Amino acid sequence: MERYAKISKKDFNRWLESLEDHGKLYGPKKKDGRHVFRPIKDVKELDLNYISTILPPKKYYFPQKERLLKFKIKPFKTAKAIRKFEEFVLFGVHTCDIAGIQCMDVVFRQEPLDANYINRKDRMTTVGIECLTPCDKYANCVSMGNHVPKGGYDIMLTDVGNKYIIHINSAKAESILRQRSYIKKCISADRYLLDAVRKKKEKIFKEEFIGRLTELYAVFSKLYDSEIWKDVGKRCVGCGNCTAVCPTCYCFDVLDEVSLNLNDGLRYRLWNSCQMDDFAKVAGGEDFRPGRSARQRHRYYRKFKYPIDKFSRYFCTGCGRCSRTCMAEINLTETVNSLIREHRNVSIGI
Amino acid sequence: MFQSEFKKILPYSPYRSMPAEIIMVKQYTNLEKLFRLRLKKNNKDFNYMPGQFAEISMFGRGEAPISICSSPTDKGYFEITVRNVGTLTSALHNLKKGDVVGVRGPFGKGFPVENFFGNDILIVAGGLGIVPLRGLIRYIMYHRKDFGAVNILLGCRSPKDMLFNNEIGQWGRHLDILFRCTVDRADPDWQGNIGLITELIPGVNLNPMRTYAVVVGPPLMYKFVIKELLKKEIPDRQIIVSLERRMKCGLGKCGHCQINGVYVCQNGPVFKYSDIRNMEEAF
Amino acid sequence: MKKSKAKVAFFDFTDCEGCQLQIVNLNTVLLDILEHIEIVNFREAMSEPRDDYDIAVIEGSISTEHDIKRITGIRKQAKVVIALGACATIGGVNAIKNRTPLNISLMRVYKDKADKFKTIAVKPIDQVIKVDYYIHGCPVHPNEVAEVFKCLLLGKKYDVPNYPVCVECKMNENVCLYQKEQNCMGPVTRAGCNSWCVNNGNICYGCRGLIDNPANDAQNDILANYGLDVNEIIDKFTLYTAVEKKYVKEIKE
Repeated sequence: MERYAKISKKDFNRWLESLEDHGKLYGPKKKDGRHVFRPIKDVKELDLNYISTILPPKKYYFPQKERLLKFKIKPFKTAKAIRKFEEFVLFGVHTCDIAGIQCMDVVFRQEPLDANYINRKDRMTTVGIECLTPCDKYANCVSMGNHVPKGGYDIMLTDVGNKYIIHINSAKAESILRQRSYIKKCISADRYLLDAVRKKKEKIFKEEFIGRLTELYAVFSKLYDSEIWKDVGKRCVGCGNCTAVCPTCYCFDVLDEVSLNLNDGLRYRLWNSCQMDDFAKVAGGEDFRPGRSARQRHRYYRKFKYPIDKFSRYFCTGCGRCSRTCMAEINLTETVNSLIREHRNVSIGI
Repeated sequence: MFQSEFKKILPYSPYRSMPAEIIMVKQYTNLEKLFRLRLKKNNKDFNYMPGQFAEISMFGRGEAPISICSSPTDKGYFEITVRNVGTLTSALHNLKKGDVVGVRGPFGKGFPVENFFGNDILIVAGGLGIVPLRGLIRYIMYHRKDFGAVNILLGCRSPKDMLFNNEIGQWGRHLDILFRCTVDRADPDWQGNIGLITELIPGVNLNPMRTYAVVVGPPLMYKFVIKELLKKEIPDRQIIVSLERRMKCGLGKCGHCQINGVYVCQNGPVFKYSDIRNMEEAF
Repeated sequence: MKKSKAKVAFFDFTDCEGCQLQIVNLNTVLLDILEHIEIVNFREAMSEPRDDYDIAVIEGSISTEHDIKRITGIRKQAKVVIALGACATIGGVNAIKNRTPLNISLMRVYKDKADKFKTIAVKPIDQVIKVDYYIHGCPVHPNEVAEVFKCLLLGKKYDVPNYPVCVECKMNENVCLYQKEQNCMGPVTRAGCNSWCVNNGNICYGCRGLIDNPANDAQNDILANYGLDVNEIIDKFTLYTAVEKKYVKEIKE
């Protein structure tokens, strides 16, 4: 099969309906003026014209609260908590969130392998949708280079008017396209349309940061002690929204729950956040990252410094969720730009 | 129907605990007990090095990272020493010989004994810091002739807070080990030093270029002890520390034990001072 | 051999008894709990109370000298005390009284008969006796009640979350009220309710009390940004937690 195919918009819902053979369908849906990923029961509910969902799709391969282990207290017994992992199609994912999936992959595919994560991820088919216009003032996807598709998906859809161009990026993708007569080969005119869309994007998508990523690395290497962190910390209310909505935050806590027979139970992991008061506390009560400014700085360093050293990859996807969700209006783009400005001033000796 | 051709379900979960039977309990102080454990499944060996830790579980109560305090030279079992401070540890304290706990691990990097061979060793233990160091000391004793001079400095609050007192008596009597101990508060029978552990360091006669100093203690102690060691001109790559953090997973994922860019559960808990001296969150 | 069941008694002080009603609302879960405990005194659900309890579940805040005597007596007998609901755990709505001098409160309520009544500043019960378990909320959430009873029966501590409601609210993927131009005490309020109110279209009023180390200044700034004046902000902070006077003071300054 070719690497590109196309589908006319009038056939689109037909295709969506045919996906049920491939597992449960999840996609963006309206909720209270925002969008959320939800199971799509009726394909008409799917709304591909959306600004980043409240939570990123990480909830499907790294659920908020996830069973790790089944146990009996007496006699001591453990067992698998999840016997079956279901196939599912994650439909309509933005390129920023696909970058998030790639980041999580890098972490969870490291030894020791995280069985739960991998078992879910292996059963996920990702269908992306390319953004054609910048979403809002919060996103910084252009600076992160995530406003255009860069792999990490099975299928990418690009809207070119009355049809979608389909980029086929895996064997799995082929199997959800084949034997459907309404999915057609691309001709050169279609490729021309795709190129035109991308050219137009280049003009309307503007870099949000005032510096490039290479400069950013130097900035974060130098400005650990900047006063900017104090200011961010002062405004931070410590609610943890920024980490919950981040597609590349994966910190968690582990806890046990026992049933009312007081013997059978489950061990869970639950999303946790470096912004919480007890996160870096040890048994004796010592807190190794006290204060909101150190915690906010830690969050930024986990996006712009530590993962670059470890994985050669920025862990900010540019989705803008942390800024969009912050009631204290701590804005990632503004913080990064002030850091860049301060770094430039320091360099020239102001 | 088709995807299952691609990927099999991974059966292995790194969160699964192995059952271990308590074969001995020894109470050292009001707060601290030692537990000797043996894995139940086919006498499987628990292969670890001094300085590593295990995740100890009691189902329904939770799981916590606990230092191993025995040495791999102690065959057929391993030991942990637990301070009663929380939900899990207080429940552990109620356990008796024959009870079963869950064990995962061992995790992390232990003391770099491969670097220690042929060199002099200075061990500085403050408070609970003696727990992982006891494993190292037992290891060194077992291979005693392979090391140079061995100095042990131990500090604790008061004589009655001293852990492993039965063994410590022996360390003091060994001719090939220099053992000194100090307490913050003495009791009438105390014959050792009184005062801070840092005060013992100047009096140690050592050759800095061939000495490895191993320091484990409460967070506040490191700063002062390391200062004294540097005064003795021990290179910072030869100062070894072990850091306490709340590792929830032991797998380098959950984030709780992170110090700047490193995960204590994987890159530590034992570090060369030279590797972490510039990390603000380390001490 | 059948283990003898722990005997549980319910007591109420200054409150609306709504939290005890929540116990009844546990339905089948209550039956499961009753496998392990025996209720000997529960005014809302039984008629022949006994006094041979080991576990006292106490609802309501302390607002009279007589309350102090009575609750001290209960503590003497009970091996375990559970504080049930906001009035007992943090003072609750009753504590709004503490914002005005006591004599003025008495005048407002009892008018010319004010001198016939005695009152003291409202206290959560842990200001008078030791409390072993806290079940926060106005009213308490049935799931948390069940969880606390499980911990009690297993003989372990129940750790009330020390993070804000926002954490649970985000996990539930609610649209943030601030984005809907409404305000909410979620960012500084102790979680554990699974963002119950927000899930159901309401705001968080802070009924579970503030987290250990709330960012009051930042929360104050946020509320001010959303157009609330100082008095409205104080109202927000003290609807349930007026006992903690220092917050009111901090904000006024």
